[in-house]
Amino acid sequence: MRVAIEARNLSRWYGNVLGISEINLEINPGITALLGPNGAGKSTFMKILTGQLKANIGEARIFGEKVWNNTHIFRHLGFCPEDDAFYEDLSGFEFLCGLLSLYGYSQAEARGRARQALDLVELSDVGGRQVRSYSRGMRQRIKIAQAIAHDPDVLILDEPLSGLDPLSKRRIIKVIKEFKNAGKTIVVSSHILPEVEALTSEIILIHQGKIIARGDIYFIRDLIDTHPHMIRIKSPQFRQLAKSMASEDYLLKMAFEPENQAVVFETHDRDRFFNRLNELLLSSPLVIDEITSPDDNLQAVFDYLVGK
Amino acid sequence: MFFLLSSASVLLAVIIRGYQLAGHWTESGQIIFQNILMVFFLQFLIVILSLFYGTSLVTEELEGKTLPYLTSRPVSRAEIIIGKYLASLALTSIMLVSTVLISYLILNIDRDFRLKDLWTVARYSLVLWLGLAAYLSFFTFLSTWLSKPILLGLAFGFGWENVIQYFPGTTQKLSVVHYLKSLLPQYTAASGRLSFLFIRLEPTRDWLSVLILILITAIFLALAALLFSFKEYLMQD
Repeated sequence: MRVAIEARNLSRWYGNVLGISEINLEINPGITALLGPNGAGKSTFMKILTGQLKANIGEARIFGEKVWNNTHIFRHLGFCPEDDAFYEDLSGFEFLCGLLSLYGYSQAEARGRARQALDLVELSDVGGRQVRSYSRGMRQRIKIAQAIAHDPDVLILDEPLSGLDPLSKRRIIKVIKEFKNAGKTIVVSSHILPEVEALTSEIILIHQGKIIARGDIYFIRDLIDTHPHMIRIKSPQFRQLAKSMASEDYLLKMAFEPENQAVVFETHDRDRFFNRLNELLLSSPLVIDEITSPDDNLQAVFDYLVGK
Repeated sequence: MFFLLSSASVLLAVIIRGYQLAGHWTESGQIIFQNILMVFFLQFLIVILSLFYGTSLVTEELEGKTLPYLTSRPVSRAEIIIGKYLASLALTSIMLVSTVLISYLILNIDRDFRLKDLWTVARYSLVLWLGLAAYLSFFTFLSTWLSKPILLGLAFGFGWENVIQYFPGTTQKLSVVHYLKSLLPQYTAASGRLSFLFIRLEPTRDWLSVLILILITAIFLALAALLFSFKEYLMQD
């Protein structure tokens, strides 16, 4: 199989701050997820892969070619940056056409590809509207559209699902999977495990600039499941909810936040916890306003994995 | 905003023309336009337009975090910066040339107006355009070099460029405005109310002035392209 992405001894630091350190890996076609807490080095790695940053040591290659200042390789590369940044005064369609014109397409072809990309991300109906009027989900989708509009072979997506509502997430996951089915190489970063699970089983764990594990999702889940998870549920009936869950043997701890009408559960078996929660919701008139998994949970898991 | 600023000369020309027609302003349209040219266009408008467009070429992309959209495309970084420079030059040229032409016509169209007068305004426009291209190139270079280029740009455009031209001898040749004024030799003699602004000019020959302005443009644009090609730009949160 042709190796799409290679990193050899890749290191990068910002002054005294380490970005990534001695990363060695090969990535083949399919979806590969970079999972790590905020500040782990995911974005630095992706910026090096897309020629935004230079490595201090080592090198990154795509299809065997160095990336930095290699305009040829950018023809095969699509990049969706993490920042929610746009040329706000342009319409979604103009934004795509403008960027596509940098590939040397004729005006007609650029317009055709822009329309196709808008279709793929289901934004055709709002393509004529200024980007500044888009919702968060639409902005994320137009960002993905600019990355896929030229039909690249390698797609680098930095936190593409961040801050999206479930429907938008589903749409984006669908697009990414369609790309995978076309034999492309996709690298996705995230700091939220369930997001990654919905996308792929191939995961690279990155922490403090180093790759600490690589494997399929089940291997990673086994590692992670040995560490307790925190789940915060906001509900007007939070006390009743806590009472119903209290007898479960996989529950390690509960903490109340009466001022927020919330309860925080700690469990070492996330799957059984959510199965039980589903049963409760179906069998009783419980109302749930919000379910969150505090971000520092993953940080704690990573600290645990690296033996801190 | 810059379109409005450029239009200020048109408004000024309309007001002066009104006074002129009412018999309150005795100087000819040519002399009045020369004064507007030297003070407003030459020493203010082309500097401010090139300063704000030039210094924002890279910093705007950095502050808006949109730079990766450009630098992850199959065009070289040098092409990106030159393309952005040319786009800004085209836009500012339209603002400049249209307002020069309209202001000139407002002040000079009368029974004595001849088509050959348009040659004069074409010459003015060309000189101003050369200045615009040179300043824009310098400020583009500052934009690729510094994270906050506007302060140095202001100091250069409205400090150095204004002060240095009053120095005698070769010192005044270390400014862009010296070569621009040298290309308007008929106005170096004392004429008009604001003639004190250029009485010390020791003009350089026309062909040499044009050559130096072209060289300034080419050198700073090449430096900007080179720097932009090899420098990393970190976007801060």
